[in-house]
Amino acid sequence: MTSEVWLLIAAGVLLLLLVWAGWTLTRLRRLAVRVQRAEAALDAQLRRRAGLAEELARNHPAALGEETAERLAAAAADARASRGGDRELAENALGQELRRLSSDLPGVPAPLRTDLAGTLTRVALARRFYNDAVRDTRELRGRRFPRWVGLHRSRPLPRYFDIDDRIGSVTKDADTAGRPAR
Amino acid sequence: MRIGLVCPYRWDVPGGVQYHVRDLAETLRGMGHHVEVLTPAEREESITDPDITFAGRTVPVPYNGSMASIQFGPVSAARVRRWLRDGRFDVVHVHEPSTPSVSLLVCMIARGPIVATFHTATTRSKMLVVLGPAARPWLERIAGRIAVSDFARRVQVEHLGGDAVIIPNGVHVGFFAEGPTLTGRPRGADGPTIGFVGRFDEPRKGLPVLLSAMRTVVREHPTARLLVAGRGDAEQLWSLVGEDLRAHVTLLGEVPEAEKAALLRSIDVYCAPNLLGESFGVILIEAMAAGAPVVASDLDAFVTVLDDGAAGVVVRRDDAAQLGRALADLLADPVRRAELSARGSAVAARYDWQLLARRILAVYETVLPAGGGTVTAGPDDDVPGVPPTGTAARPPRIRRGHR
Repeated sequence: MTSEVWLLIAAGVLLLLLVWAGWTLTRLRRLAVRVQRAEAALDAQLRRRAGLAEELARNHPAALGEETAERLAAAAADARASRGGDRELAENALGQELRRLSSDLPGVPAPLRTDLAGTLTRVALARRFYNDAVRDTRELRGRRFPRWVGLHRSRPLPRYFDIDDRIGSVTKDADTAGRPAR
Repeated sequence: MRIGLVCPYRWDVPGGVQYHVRDLAETLRGMGHHVEVLTPAEREESITDPDITFAGRTVPVPYNGSMASIQFGPVSAARVRRWLRDGRFDVVHVHEPSTPSVSLLVCMIARGPIVATFHTATTRSKMLVVLGPAARPWLERIAGRIAVSDFARRVQVEHLGGDAVIIPNGVHVGFFAEGPTLTGRPRGADGPTIGFVGRFDEPRKGLPVLLSAMRTVVREHPTARLLVAGRGDAEQLWSLVGEDLRAHVTLLGEVPEAEKAALLRSIDVYCAPNLLGESFGVILIEAMAAGAPVVASDLDAFVTVLDDGAAGVVVRRDDAAQLGRALADLLADPVRRAELSARGSAVAARYDWQLLARRILAVYETVLPAGGGTVTAGPDDDVPGVPPTGTAARPPRIRRGHR
């Protein structure tokens, strides 16, 4: 009799574990989709930024100064070509070049300037949302249960994307986008 | 863009989140977007706007010193599902989704880009400690998180394990900056006036402190008056005021928005003597937008809004003597008032809805999938009819290649 009870208990525990594993898998799959989307969004915004920088360097070298235009074009090309960890470095360099430009840029048409400013904000937002998705994923995958059972073990752990985008402009309380970075 | 906003609190009860959603919807509509709102209400009849959908009634439970609305169950879930299907939104923006409310239901049911705004700034919320982890599996679906202040963001980081960008509460600056005063006469024409807006019978709003400070003020400015606007028990207020101050206090009661704006344009000083629990302080921004110099207690949120004290006078909370001193000094110094008023207007401009709505739109644009596509409702059996328990008490749905 008792062995049957034990068997029932064991079956119950097993069922519970299975349900839990299934639920965790669902969550992990959902997070993987979120990371993938956030990465696509970040990639799109970074490409857009590089594109705008190239346009700026190509069409308005007079407004920037020849030397700055050349450096900007090189940084943009570098950012486009880099992959993996190098990309963070290259994007950082491009971000630095863009920040070094004076804020008003005489002679550059207003739509391009607005587009650039908007893209810089969206890069910062997209990066934060991507890192947020990565953090959620790493947190869940790092828990004991998913680790023991080996859920998603074959998949690489998503990496944070760290560049200096003066994220202060989107995290500070008030709108500091127009002010110099603190 | 087709945008669906979700407000978890009853639409026909005044509250900061409700106003936030209402103003955001208005501003986005003004920019040419299609905006619909899903919200619970006390009475279904009170929702007359065709773009606002009634989500059901809520069960009030005590939460964080006030009442939170709990709403859960198959009927509400069905309403959410219908709203999502009919709305065909590009993005759904839920507010305060960490409590079991219609916002959390939307997080559970919606498939597609979800943006969430977190308003709560209290770190001692038992409910958040208990329910935060339980809600987490569904909060993981949120693609972009916004917090209204640094404090709200900290709560988010500590209890819900996520980060957020900060986009503060907004104010329609123009609505407060331009318009008539209460009496039609310019500011200051009727003697020195101090204003207070808020639920005056809630001790945490600090009106008793302001009343005892008024005794100092009237000693130096015998014609000074205090205008009180807001809801509350008038009897109780008058017993608190006492005989000596009765002539100096005017109770306006609950006033409509337009009259509140007129009040803020009429007064010489706005006073916010709150003792605790303010997460943001929209009223301060409204006062600054209307050009009223502000004297406020040193709550973190107020100090932040007042630009670390540069745009207003900050006094120790619950210190009637210091508050009285500050008010009397400010009433005696028109130059300083003009200076604070100018600085306040500049600060308020940073919180204009036009500006903030554009930043919120940037968040929407960031989370939109490149190929487009709308938010849909998940399969019918995806949502339990009981509050989530954190463990899986139901078989998981396994979906492949569907998103």
